[in-house]
Amino acid sequence: MDTPTAARVNPVVTEVVRNGLVAVTEEMKINLMRTAYNMIIYEALDFTVGIFDAQGNTVSIGLGLPMFIRGMSDTVKAKLAHFGADKLEPGDILLTNDAYITGSHLNHMTFTVPIFDEGTLVGFSCCMAHWPDVGGTLMEGTTDIFSEGLQMPIVKIFRKGEPNEELIAIIKNNVRLPERAMGDFRAQIAAVRTGERRFLDLIRKYGREEVLGGIAAIMDQSEALARARVRDMPDGVYEAESFMDDDGVNVGQRVPIKVRVTITGDRMTVDLTDVSKQVQGFYNSGITAGRSCCQVAFKCLTSALELPINDGAFRALDIVLPPGRVVSAEKPAAMRMWMCYPMTIVDTIFKALAPALPEQVIAGHHADLVVGRINGRRPKDNSFYIYLGGLIGGGWGAKHDSDGQNATIAMNDGDTHNGPSEQVEAKYPLLVERYCLRPDSGGAGRFRGGLGTEQVVQARHPIRFSSQMDRVKCKPWGLNGGLSGFGNGVALHRFGKSEEVSFFNGKALNQVLQVGDAYILRSGGGGGYGSPLARDLTALERDVRCGYITRDSAQTHYGVVFRGGTLEIDTDATQARRAQMHAQGLPHDQPIAEPLAPIPAAHVHEHNAEHDKLTEEERVALAMQCRCCS
Amino acid sequence: MSESPAARLAADVGGTFTDVAAFDETKGELRLGKTLTTPAKLVTGIENGVAKAGSRFDAARLFLHGTTVAINTILERSGAKCALLTTQGFRDIYEIGRVNRPESYNLFFRRHSPLIERDLRFDISERIDAQGAVLIKLDEAQVLRVATDAVARGVEAIAILFLHSYRNPAHEQRAKQIIEAAFPQLFVTASHELSQEYREFERTSTAAANAYVGPRVRQYLTEMESQLEAARFGGNFLIVQSSGGLFDAADARRSCIRMLESGPAAGVIGTQALCASIGMRNAIAFDMGGTTAKAGVIYNGDVLMTGNALIGGYATGLPIQMPMIDIQEVGTGGGSIARVELGNALRVGPESAGAAPGPVCYGLGGTEPTITDANLVLGRLGAERFLGGEMQLDVESARRALSERVAAPLGMDVVEAAEGILRIATTKMAHVVRWVTTERGLDAADFALVAYGGAGPLHVAAVARELQIATVVIPRAPGHFSAYGMLVADLRRDFVNTWFKPLAEASFDEMEALYVEMETRGRATVTRGQATLTGTTRRRAADMRYVGQEHAVTVDLPLELFHAQDRDGIKRLFDAVHQTRYGFSVATEKAEIVSLRSATVGEMKKPPFEHIAKGQAAPDAAAKRGSRPVYFAGAGFVDTPTFQRSALKAGNRIDGPALIEEHASTTVVQLGDQLEVDAFGDLIITINRN
Repeated sequence: MDTPTAARVNPVVTEVVRNGLVAVTEEMKINLMRTAYNMIIYEALDFTVGIFDAQGNTVSIGLGLPMFIRGMSDTVKAKLAHFGADKLEPGDILLTNDAYITGSHLNHMTFTVPIFDEGTLVGFSCCMAHWPDVGGTLMEGTTDIFSEGLQMPIVKIFRKGEPNEELIAIIKNNVRLPERAMGDFRAQIAAVRTGERRFLDLIRKYGREEVLGGIAAIMDQSEALARARVRDMPDGVYEAESFMDDDGVNVGQRVPIKVRVTITGDRMTVDLTDVSKQVQGFYNSGITAGRSCCQVAFKCLTSALELPINDGAFRALDIVLPPGRVVSAEKPAAMRMWMCYPMTIVDTIFKALAPALPEQVIAGHHADLVVGRINGRRPKDNSFYIYLGGLIGGGWGAKHDSDGQNATIAMNDGDTHNGPSEQVEAKYPLLVERYCLRPDSGGAGRFRGGLGTEQVVQARHPIRFSSQMDRVKCKPWGLNGGLSGFGNGVALHRFGKSEEVSFFNGKALNQVLQVGDAYILRSGGGGGYGSPLARDLTALERDVRCGYITRDSAQTHYGVVFRGGTLEIDTDATQARRAQMHAQGLPHDQPIAEPLAPIPAAHVHEHNAEHDKLTEEERVALAMQCRCCS
Repeated sequence: MSESPAARLAADVGGTFTDVAAFDETKGELRLGKTLTTPAKLVTGIENGVAKAGSRFDAARLFLHGTTVAINTILERSGAKCALLTTQGFRDIYEIGRVNRPESYNLFFRRHSPLIERDLRFDISERIDAQGAVLIKLDEAQVLRVATDAVARGVEAIAILFLHSYRNPAHEQRAKQIIEAAFPQLFVTASHELSQEYREFERTSTAAANAYVGPRVRQYLTEMESQLEAARFGGNFLIVQSSGGLFDAADARRSCIRMLESGPAAGVIGTQALCASIGMRNAIAFDMGGTTAKAGVIYNGDVLMTGNALIGGYATGLPIQMPMIDIQEVGTGGGSIARVELGNALRVGPESAGAAPGPVCYGLGGTEPTITDANLVLGRLGAERFLGGEMQLDVESARRALSERVAAPLGMDVVEAAEGILRIATTKMAHVVRWVTTERGLDAADFALVAYGGAGPLHVAAVARELQIATVVIPRAPGHFSAYGMLVADLRRDFVNTWFKPLAEASFDEMEALYVEMETRGRATVTRGQATLTGTTRRRAADMRYVGQEHAVTVDLPLELFHAQDRDGIKRLFDAVHQTRYGFSVATEKAEIVSLRSATVGEMKKPPFEHIAKGQAAPDAAAKRGSRPVYFAGAGFVDTPTFQRSALKAGNRIDGPALIEEHASTTVVQLGDQLEVDAFGDLIITINRN
């Protein structure tokens, strides 16, 4: 087959093909979402679908996990290399969840269909989706890949249209909820086949040469756009450093994240050599994830809204990333929380570029999905369930011209939705007591960081709970004089106790909750932008009136002086106070919180016979009312 | 005019134009009028339209109305100051929403912006669980205290959302009662009255939007009624809902949000009636105006519905959760701008030149070339014949803009550029038309395409070709089609009730009780004060899924299944719907019910379709208006005859290429296609699919 070239294609055909490709991936996405069996796919949209060229380069990926922007292309390329193009046949479906290939965790089952037009390989259709369970320990704190579940190497799960029942039996035998898993399996098969069919429809309608030539032209257009944007950036070498709290094993030992960005003419180089070496805990990810960090940051800065997302856009980006780093980890590194560190790396790239691109970057965000993993048995029928709680959204950083967004999902995820509390309570014996914004959690600034959220969930029967968040102590940073936002947090509240049990490094492993106990997830706020002493007073009046900022914080961080006991701002007094604070170098920023308390020991249940006398409803209500007052 | 009022009037009031359709029942005659909207006193514009259509309010016994008042109030953010009362702990649910970032790489992304500010959102101590059990009793004193405080702060409307009110509405009902007793003038809306489906954010947003538009809609309806009275209208006044059904003003005062998409919905209802009259079972309604193209589906004679929509777009829109016609849209209309972007990418829309400045050829200051300019340069629009000759178009300016801004940068000639713009627009519109079918597992090629809106008839043949659609229908007066659709609508009330239950355990007695309760309320609503109904029908459906799945599909369930208590029959129907929609079904896998749906329809006598005069195969000489060169892809400029639509007769046949011109629209018949005028005056085009 001739290599298609953009030169032969006219701009009209290119635009027609472009719209066609976006429609193909959109349809794949909708088919997967609507047929999926698990909430992580349907509501959380933890999946990515796409079309790839015959070499495995990204042609179009649908909205899904931004941090999986490289995952599928690199997986398709690995599959292609594994079998060789001549060993692929129509009707084959290739599967793997190899963490070091996808760069992520074993939950990401990735299916690929090679697409043939009249016997010629013209591309691939691919779908990754998160399965809630792939076996492995439920005891959470893993230190190698083998305890994390089933590892499926690259296989043909369908050969010329025929399913390989033996491999399917192996999968079923290794997961805790085989029926659910097979539901998601079917949904993914349907999605990749939709991609195959619709891509072939495009070829039939517009011609193979036109479509492939159009794709080449689209990639060239994306490249030209990205290069033009980079050319506008000032040349230079820009560096920044940030930290993760710890890896969950070496408690309290910060993990450094250091990036260097070089801009020369129309090229950008992101060097992640000085990012921490791979860690003992399960926060590692593969090289694909490290490369994704760079591409996500690059896309945000050069072509945020351009579709389709394709590899042409990244030709102006060079990535330096040696193996063995925490985002280029090698076997048998533990990978279960792969998504955690890359988000901070993306923010650190923005931080590095802040002096060069003050009007294009964003202050730090809460940078964690803030999830809780719950499992238990339903009292009514003793059936086992796994619930991925959290995904509550948090604060995003402020920008040069606007406040950060409140309660918005972290960078790893895109169109991820939280689970409605009414749905959670209908499906699981849990009660969401509170889901609200955290006042003052957004970093102060001329433009304020967005607010984080807090979710309190009561167990209505015994459950096991784990949460492994980070960026609890190392808080989302401000830019250009803006202050840090609140960090993330996890805590338990035992029924009848007056104090919370909190976990200063965000790692709450394997906690058993009894009836009436609650877990509490808190997402951090975003960093502020610009000095808080320059914040507009009308905006502050609204902040305080609406309770986004407390009166106290308005005084301490923003230099506001209120008239008497009112919420009315005294403009003159405020100006004087601000001048004074400015002279004193106030307000202070505290980017890294000091640990306040030791990690609580594993929970030993204290039995309180009094509580047994209550009906379930009395107990639930009592537990909730105690906490409402707190 | 006769002594007994016998006219039915319909008015679709838009931002610029008011379209009126008047049907005289004595003469069996349908007449239309288009006038400028009169914002200060809308009835004036409507009366002008009614007069233009040769009718009078005092001669009418029915007035059917579609209005953008509700949706504009939301889009313009001009609604009432409202408060929201929510369950303790959920004050922020309206702001937190679903936390998603649809523009995943846009650091400057902004989320939905609530209609009620945080200082007017209040926690109320109360709690009901997912089974409907009361965990914490409603703090009635707090409700009164909070409402009193809100009123003191100038609130005109209050929305109430308590968790699980779809399961047990007692607390919402009681809170509403308390507030209404204390403040009878306040507009109070409780979420369960609008939606009895789970998902608290969507229900909150629905209730909040209703409160937000409530006072303005109520005032609008009151004014309209008094103006109608002044115009000596003595009949029934009904409003079109987003479901395409009608409801009365009393209902509309409470459930204002149901009229959100009345205009577009009426067009789809009109399409459904048109299909019935000409014996078509499957059709896609294609409505193309100045800024958007919209598509809705008639499948097996029924209009396809959806349970929710995002008002203001996917990324930042506010959700409304209630049954409505599934209408998808794309930002491609006559005013859509064509631009060359970096890397020589040619983009068409969604930016639109709108009505002002409008396309370059309007000569009103527009500088960027649009789809309309491309149509003009290619000869599809006649410069002297736009809006019946009321507006002269400037071909030279259009050509210059296309040349300078598109053709030159891309190294094309002007005609090539104009044709390219139309081709891109065609494929974009084809995607949205296909989308409404493929999202259900249907194939657009099995449907006819019914085109209306000012620009629909110009583009529909190309869109049909793109989708391998065989038949295109242009109804009479495509520019007034929504008003016409109102004339053929029925009264309708929809209910949805979330009821999680494995199918195997679902008790038929319980289901019957739930349906009957909805149907009783539905019947009471649609029959209230309606002397003109010819009957009522009830329809049942259920949202179902396989156990473990998240997403449910709606399955229409014939009443016989319930009479026969045929559980297997319900399962078979569900399997079949799932198979069609998603390409697989599992007979052995268990299904569960998520929600029960009920629709009660109060049927109205429809105006019969009027036959037009019969003619020969060849159009009369009087219909011919000459010819002009028109560009067709692959053939270049071809001398193309033009016809005046009003002079065509039933049975006339015209082979493409041809243009059929009427007041606000031009139909393009492409080379190789054939047009026939049917007995009712519809243009039926057979597309050459080879």
